[in-house]
Amino acid sequence: MKKRAGMDTEELSPLRTRGSVKIPPPDHPLTISEWAKLKESSSKPDHFEMQMMTGLLATNADVNIAKSLLAYVVQDKGTLTYELLLRYLTLCVSGGHHSEVFDTYDIMTTCFKTLDTGASSLFIKGFSQTERWREALVVLEGMKKALLPSPRNYSDAIAGAALHGEIETSWMLYDELLELGLVPNQDTWQCLFQSGISQQGQEDKLFSVLSYMRDNQIYPEEPLIKTIKAWFESLPDQKWSGKFSYVAPSGECKNCKASLESIQLTEEEYAELKDKVMKKVIEGSDVFKKTTPEELNSFKSFVKQRPPFDIVIDGLNVANTTPKATHSETLLAVVSELEQQGLNILVLGRKHMLQPSRNWDRQNMNKIKQKAHCFFTENISEDDPFLLYAALHSGVHCNFLSRDLMRDHKACLPDSATRRLFFKWQRGHQLVISHYAPGKRVWFQRISAYDTIIQTSGSSWHIPYDENRGDRATYEVPQKWLCLTQEH
Amino acid sequence: MMFLRSCSLALRCRRFTNPQVTIRAFGSSRTARKDASENALDLDAWKSVMRSQALQEDSKIPSRSALDDNRELVEMWHQAGKFVPKNITDEQLEDLAQLTTRSAKKKYLKFLAIKESHKITKKEKQEKKKSEREAGEREQEELRNTFLLKFWSSSLDRVQSWRAAQAMRFGQPLVYDMSYEQHMSRRELENTVAQLMESEGCNRRASDPFHLHFCNLQPNGAYHRELLKRYGSHTWERLLITATERTHLEVFPQRDLVYLTADSKSVLHTFDHSKVYVIGAMVDRSIHSGASLANAKRLQLATARLPLDEYLDWECGAKNLTLDQMMRILMTVKDTGSWKKALEFVPKRKHAGFQQHSSGFTGAAKSRFVRNDSSESRFVRNDSSESRFVRNDSSESRFIRNDSPESRFVRNDSPESRFVRSDSSESRFSARAQNQLKNKTDGRKKQPERAQCREDGH
Repeated sequence: MKKRAGMDTEELSPLRTRGSVKIPPPDHPLTISEWAKLKESSSKPDHFEMQMMTGLLATNADVNIAKSLLAYVVQDKGTLTYELLLRYLTLCVSGGHHSEVFDTYDIMTTCFKTLDTGASSLFIKGFSQTERWREALVVLEGMKKALLPSPRNYSDAIAGAALHGEIETSWMLYDELLELGLVPNQDTWQCLFQSGISQQGQEDKLFSVLSYMRDNQIYPEEPLIKTIKAWFESLPDQKWSGKFSYVAPSGECKNCKASLESIQLTEEEYAELKDKVMKKVIEGSDVFKKTTPEELNSFKSFVKQRPPFDIVIDGLNVANTTPKATHSETLLAVVSELEQQGLNILVLGRKHMLQPSRNWDRQNMNKIKQKAHCFFTENISEDDPFLLYAALHSGVHCNFLSRDLMRDHKACLPDSATRRLFFKWQRGHQLVISHYAPGKRVWFQRISAYDTIIQTSGSSWHIPYDENRGDRATYEVPQKWLCLTQEH
Repeated sequence: MMFLRSCSLALRCRRFTNPQVTIRAFGSSRTARKDASENALDLDAWKSVMRSQALQEDSKIPSRSALDDNRELVEMWHQAGKFVPKNITDEQLEDLAQLTTRSAKKKYLKFLAIKESHKITKKEKQEKKKSEREAGEREQEELRNTFLLKFWSSSLDRVQSWRAAQAMRFGQPLVYDMSYEQHMSRRELENTVAQLMESEGCNRRASDPFHLHFCNLQPNGAYHRELLKRYGSHTWERLLITATERTHLEVFPQRDLVYLTADSKSVLHTFDHSKVYVIGAMVDRSIHSGASLANAKRLQLATARLPLDEYLDWECGAKNLTLDQMMRILMTVKDTGSWKKALEFVPKRKHAGFQQHSSGFTGAAKSRFVRNDSSESRFVRNDSSESRFVRNDSSESRFIRNDSPESRFVRNDSPESRFVRSDSSESRFSARAQNQLKNKTDGRKKQPERAQCREDGH
């Protein structure tokens, strides 16, 4: 939820006048006597000034009315409070009244010790739009005390530098932003790519921006992708041409017919993921939370004794696919289908599945045991970590079948790089049942063969992007791509 | 805009000279211009006033510590009208400096601001009362004559202390396991200690207290320091509980311990007076699901959870109850044996009331069914009911799959009427069924009454 700079998510003090009649602010500047009369008629004279100023701000009124109000308050009280000046400043910045912003800056810096975070943000935004943009950098420096400046502050400052042609400064600010560990806004990048179009010689830096987006799995939104396309096409002598398109499920770009990067992990990535999952997800800080050491060891030896599996099934999750059939029937149908395809199956479940009941029929369970290897954990243990262990330890080709998004297990991983690896592995190896009706065949959703990430092959670039400002959830990936090819 | 700027510029050079000279260039009506010019005069006058009020600054301190930075942050936020306290102590500033993100700092400051506003309102109220009292006349209090001696609170304290001491020697132990320091934040720890104090107080006032143990209490650990701070060292020394750093496994034999946790799979149906119940002293505002169960699993203890689902129509809310609620529930179930009375202490917002029909059963049910088979004549009337009573499983459907009108009628009856109608065999059958329905809670209590029914029949 993006609110105005300086008023972002900061709470207003409880000066709300509830229950009292709100006087609407006037629509033209009043004289001092008129203001005094208005104040007398209000129900809460103490909060009159703030109320009026907030009202003017809300209706985005003429700045002269606000000025007349300030003149009245000076007459009445002799001085102005910080809060009142802050609201006035918000009005000026949002209305673009630059001279007022300058004056207010002078006044506030002389009358008060320092500026607070809200005022600083407003000043950065305000100054960046004018020729005194360098002072915004001074304010930015001054903000780095108890709290770091936010990415939005840097975005405004970079926009100011770029607007006035100082490309060096804007890149310096961008590097500072990355050093502080903040994540840049899409606006920042848009500004940088725009400056790249107008001023040549920044190819390296902009390519490094693209590789940053690749490393952090960030997808540009629609305005940014258009700017990127325009930048590519503006590069002289390189003759890039861009087209928005889709990718076929096999991994071929519809536009240029090139195949995209595979979703499979490399050997090192795989080994690292295996290790991290074992340490953080299964054992975690306390192995007793999800299982017990004895159970874990018995499972490890179980997996070691058996040949590598081709598919690992989350028994409870699969059994709950449809309410039309009993659990054991569904599970049996799925296992039979996969057995027919000749796969080596492991079914994971819990010990209560072995108790005969309406849902877990003994005969069905016996048939399942004949067709697949089975492992049943204690009823109080979690079976998902075992699923991940078995799938990862059986090799690169092993898939797992579950509808679970595994977000809670992904969250146990320590850093974002490992989490991205996990997500990539999950997209490439998780099978989901697309539909099943009792008596009919079981159908599975297709796993994508390509990795949805910014990639280049030297002579072409493929960039996935979010259209419509991202209706997608965090566990989904965008479907639309920008395909950039070079003509020879 | 330009017009105003030129006006203000004019003003800055020469105050209060007639601006009409510049205005005539624009050629509009004179009176409007005059008002506007007066306004323009007014509009920027505040700027000059403010500039003249430039702060007499002392030289800036060159070395700024994190504490100073944070103090400045709080001050400026207060001036900007944000919800932060006006005065903040050094200790609180240190805590603030520990927090790194903006939202964490804001939340902490909001908490401090709320505390401050409470204090201020309290003070204002006190002063108001004082002034009213002084303003009003002091009324003469009549000396009251009575033959009853005044019951001093110290007498009550003595009685309660004797009871607590007796409980320490002969009472049933109840253990609070204090091994969750790593799982809790500072605020949660403070909440835990507050709840412990509350439950200790409730225990002391009961007619048959538990013998409280605080096990795993590391001396000079976070728990201990907080307890000392809240109780005061004098009271803490004299408190009639057992606080030890040994684990509960060392103090009691393993077979007697039952760990109460909401994550357990087995339900506690009857309160066993020979077992020692262990409760984890943890407040989980940040959810650590399975932490207490993990502790129990590690030591291989039996676990149990309260029969919340069996008795309450649960709406929404965590099934983790606070420590003092647990104490009250266990106290009530120890005294009365009735889960219905005990589970009154579960917050009402979490559930929609007690369930109309229960699906619980107790261990005593088995013996009851044995006795029923002996008297066949009563079951001749209703073939389906006989099979129902012979089968011993606890499924709720037993009562639902019931087309006999008597039992349906029986379910709504009040317990008193059962004994009134004890002459007719029909009512005795209904009494029997009603016993089965009510027997979920107080199996042992109802046995003498059932014997009475049967004697009447024979």
